[in-house]
Amino acid sequence: MALRVMVGEAVAGVDARVVVERTPAGEVVDAHLDLSILPRLEPLLAGRPVEQVPPLVERLCGVCPAAHHLAGVAALEALAGVGPIPAEARRLRRLLHHGSVLTMHAHAFFAAGREQALALRRLGKAAMAAAGSPGHFPVSAVVGGVAGPLVADAAEGCVRDAPASLALARDLFDWALGAPSGRGAENLADGIGRGAGFGGFAGADVALVDGRGRLDPLGDRLRAVGPGGAVIVAGAAAGEWDRLIAEGRPGEAASRPRLLAGGAPGGHYRVGPTAQLRVAAPATPVAAELAAEWRRRGGGALAARAVMAAASVEAIAELADGGPGAGDLVAAGGASRPAEAAGAAGAAGAAGAAGAAGAAGRVGVGWVDGARGLLVHRYRVGGSGMVEEALVLTPTAQNEYWLSRLLVEALAAGAAGAAGAAGGPRGADLEGAIREADPCLPCVAAPAGRMGVVVETVLAGGE
Amino acid sequence: MCVAVPTRIVAIEPGPMPMARLEPGASPASCCLAYVPEAQVGDYVLVQHGFAVELLDPAAAALSLAAFAELGLAPGSAAP
Repeated sequence: MALRVMVGEAVAGVDARVVVERTPAGEVVDAHLDLSILPRLEPLLAGRPVEQVPPLVERLCGVCPAAHHLAGVAALEALAGVGPIPAEARRLRRLLHHGSVLTMHAHAFFAAGREQALALRRLGKAAMAAAGSPGHFPVSAVVGGVAGPLVADAAEGCVRDAPASLALARDLFDWALGAPSGRGAENLADGIGRGAGFGGFAGADVALVDGRGRLDPLGDRLRAVGPGGAVIVAGAAAGEWDRLIAEGRPGEAASRPRLLAGGAPGGHYRVGPTAQLRVAAPATPVAAELAAEWRRRGGGALAARAVMAAASVEAIAELADGGPGAGDLVAAGGASRPAEAAGAAGAAGAAGAAGAAGAAGRVGVGWVDGARGLLVHRYRVGGSGMVEEALVLTPTAQNEYWLSRLLVEALAAGAAGAAGAAGGPRGADLEGAIREADPCLPCVAAPAGRMGVVVETVLAGGE
Repeated sequence: MCVAVPTRIVAIEPGPMPMARLEPGASPASCCLAYVPEAQVGDYVLVQHGFAVELLDPAAAALSLAAFAELGLAPGSAAP
């Protein structure tokens, strides 16, 4: 399918397409969400100056540009060997990221109350403005630091509004835990996503942590824990990426990445708020308290999002407080403008990075743990600073296997309980499964209970 | 990776669920502004499933459209 047609389908309002594989006797063998409308843009990035990649990618992804912005700049820094990032710059990047995360989590709670969700969204946007990115596309991060100081009046507004938003996040957490899941609920819109989560996932959970092992969305360490909580990867750096995770189907939207360290069947893993809370505790007190309750009550993804929303509110309040700091905004060897990164990558970091990457070309990896989970940018460049190979590994791709298990579980529950029309799966079961994994697809923008789900049945083992 | 092409609002029908009419040729032709109630005529929105999920000013929209054109993904541009 031509890439342009795929983009057209991706931006139109389309239903969720679930493909169910059944035996001739009707038994479900497998199920997956059709991600074929999601384009893999990496081939189009090859041959371009590497410093052009982050702004290109963030401007194509309208939903989470800040995550791509931060992951992309981190990858450029890895290529250039620039660092450590000054403390004040790290502060502002965190403020930007938490603002973006809160904005995205707010969207999940419109069913609970439009004004509550809008209030959280306003705080998220204000945090992004305080970090120097008032518009939709962020401009805060540059190679080695940030472009400008904290915006004082926006920051003051964040500090003022945070307590009310934290109370909202608590209320939304209670709401998210307060009712049974969508299966069996009479009011589909009220029930979907709330209550206890789905059954256990046989794969690993992956999230970023700080040096103390606490959740850190801009952490420099990746941690993976197995289904029983055993640590598979204690804390790996981004530079170890190629030894950590590999795509099972490179180039496909459903690329089935897997952990190379083992510890879970097939190396399957998931990312996002559910995984984050299973990997480590939030670093802020209210979120940590809610996370403990989430674990006790077996909460699902929606409640996990409320916990992480609370974590972002707390982080915003702390980061926005105290006015602009006095420290440097850009590390030595960094660039005040993104275009200058080409020079930095070509000169300051070339020798060391080339030595590390060997004859295959220099490689830089940057990552963030966003509202939907881990996002990775990996660039391999030639001596001229042109991209030879790019990887943009999204949370949606990393969660596709988990979603397939959720769909199979939902189908089994639907078959065991009340069936839909003609004995088929109930749409609410499948919508609940899809919302649990929260793929970045147009269908999730539909209000709860109104996601169109189209089911296609194929013969297992057939074409 | 999810992609979203900005579309300009040409008219708004106010109400509890405000609806926006989008620029000629846009698909869909309209969207609900429930998630971005601050949107105004002339703003650009990113639409998913009939809902505006993000709001862009004209400068940001121009950057986004330029990125699509740069990669040959804009409507009317040659297929890559």
